[in-house]
Amino acid sequence: MDLLPTSEQEEIVSSVATLLAAQLPITRVRELHAEPAGVDESVWAACAAQGWFGLGLAEAEGGVGYGLAEEALLFREIGRHLAPGPMLSTVLGARVATGDQRAAILDGAVRVALVERRADGGADVHGHVGAELALVVTDAGADLVALGDVPGLTAVECIDPGTRLAVVARFDATPVATSGEPILARGAVLAAAMAAGVAEATRDLSAEHARTRVQFGNPIGVNQAIKHSCTDMAVRCEAATSQVLLAALTVEAGLPDAAYQASAAKVVATDAAMRNARATIQVHGGMGFTWEHDAHLHLKRAHVLEIILGDRRHHLAGLLEA
Amino acid sequence: MRDFDTAWQRTQFQGGWAGINWPTEFGGRGLSLLQQVIWYEEYATLGLPGIDSCFVGNNHAGPTLIARGTEDHKATHLRPILQGDVVWAQGFSEPEAGSDLASLQTRAEIDGDELVVTGQKVWTSYADVADLQELLVRTNRDAPKHKGITWVICDMHSPGIEIRPLGTIDGERHFAEVFYDEVRIPLTNVVGAIDDGWSVAMSTLSFERGTAFTASQTKLHETVERLMALARERHLDDDELGRRLAVARAEVAALRAMTYLGVSRNARQPMPGPEGSIVKLFYAELSQRVYALALDVLGADALRTDLGLATDWHHDYLEAYSYSIGGGTSEIMRNIIGERLLGLPR
Repeated sequence: MDLLPTSEQEEIVSSVATLLAAQLPITRVRELHAEPAGVDESVWAACAAQGWFGLGLAEAEGGVGYGLAEEALLFREIGRHLAPGPMLSTVLGARVATGDQRAAILDGAVRVALVERRADGGADVHGHVGAELALVVTDAGADLVALGDVPGLTAVECIDPGTRLAVVARFDATPVATSGEPILARGAVLAAAMAAGVAEATRDLSAEHARTRVQFGNPIGVNQAIKHSCTDMAVRCEAATSQVLLAALTVEAGLPDAAYQASAAKVVATDAAMRNARATIQVHGGMGFTWEHDAHLHLKRAHVLEIILGDRRHHLAGLLEA
Repeated sequence: MRDFDTAWQRTQFQGGWAGINWPTEFGGRGLSLLQQVIWYEEYATLGLPGIDSCFVGNNHAGPTLIARGTEDHKATHLRPILQGDVVWAQGFSEPEAGSDLASLQTRAEIDGDELVVTGQKVWTSYADVADLQELLVRTNRDAPKHKGITWVICDMHSPGIEIRPLGTIDGERHFAEVFYDEVRIPLTNVVGAIDDGWSVAMSTLSFERGTAFTASQTKLHETVERLMALARERHLDDDELGRRLAVARAEVAALRAMTYLGVSRNARQPMPGPEGSIVKLFYAELSQRVYALALDVLGADALRTDLGLATDWHHDYLEAYSYSIGGGTSEIMRNIIGERLLGLPR
């Protein structure tokens, strides 16, 4: 057991971060918020060309041949950069799909939205604009459905400007593909990894501000009230990232406590993202309350991540019953 | 207490389970820290006794001597620690040098081939049963405060030492004040150089914050599971307590992952870095939440200390208040993390 990334894994992180910094800087992410699909087709194609959507799939299945740990490192970067579009459900969807459908997802030709079913028989669909397929995570595994077969899909406004959201009053589409793999556990780990990225990004924004913002003649970070707030962000990041990586290895190995570790990762990492984003608004004072500052984008993404692939209540219930 | 602790230490040594990651030449097993952690996990699962008075030898003085001691220090002191022949105590804090440790005033004058020590230490656990002490003294009063300190091995049976036990909020009397009146210590007992004790002390504390509490971190997982069992025994069906128990399970899972990450870092960089302060801080605050939850699970029985439960929740709850104070307060940990990891200004 070694939880530190290897040099090969560090190279994956570095190439992902380089692509995101070059093609999806926050200025571009903000431009995309105003566009209908919220996705840059050429960037999506570039991500596909780098093998992101099949990073954890076996080479025989058209993937790159890495595992959930590498996927988690990928999604931590995606979370850190607030990359738009349904990347998480697309990666999970590629695992569920077969044949030509899988090839089209891996190529970047087909995007996969995420269906979050509600207790009343309805559902929310995340990332529906421009997506052909949608992923439905079930207790047994997951199904893929054709979005065109979902009648009554209605676009609604989402708190996160980087997430396209639609609702349907009654969801009962027929699967076009089905998998018995533990997709919920994998998805929870990857959503947690994105949340860890949000937590780290907000920690870094706050630390930078605390080092450079001068008031009363000193950088505000000399004050323990600010310093300790930033420190608590760093502690939450360490807890989140450690648990995400441990859960990734546990789920990939199919150990008996896989679901438990995945739930712990989801709870700890989304809590870190939410609390760090909130504290980041506070550390930045008036600037943190402006639309121009990125703190609110992280906060709003944190809310989405807390809800999808098993909300906090779901994972806490699972942890309690184990 | 001493007799039990040292006998149990000897039993573990004889079974080949002491100093699992210590060098074989000093009685250890020469295995990895990860293998040491596997032992701790099994140890915690079986609910075996706490290390108590053997803690400082195994987790402070021993690792410090391995890192900074002379060959003679190692040959003399390491094996007896593992065999349970000696008990070590710590002598760092003073009444006027708590968080500001470098302000310590206990004075040592060089007289021939000896140091002559006069002053006072405080918060010294197990001073009354200890044979040896890792002692910080001021050997240079003219140098800046961090530059005039020396780390020395003090024989606790030396003439001139007086020990006054202090009671603590958990009802224990392991704490003590220690007074030194012209106590003579051979210069050969100095670890590192004269006036270079601060760097030796920082390596001691980096072990304390980095790896010394690995066993305790591992044990907290078992504590949460015992608390789950207690809640079930008492047929608690309460949403608020259930949510807090589930969060405790998630957070103690993360603590274990953080411990593993620390072990992974340690394999590449043997001297623990400031990241250790993150785990120490997280562990202290999580422990306090877990034991506070235990008393809430007990409900009205939280007031009764005569129940004779298999776990002494009251004792453990009260003891946990020391976790955010001893070994550097949580406030100091936050300063270290903020300044050394995040680069925030002092």
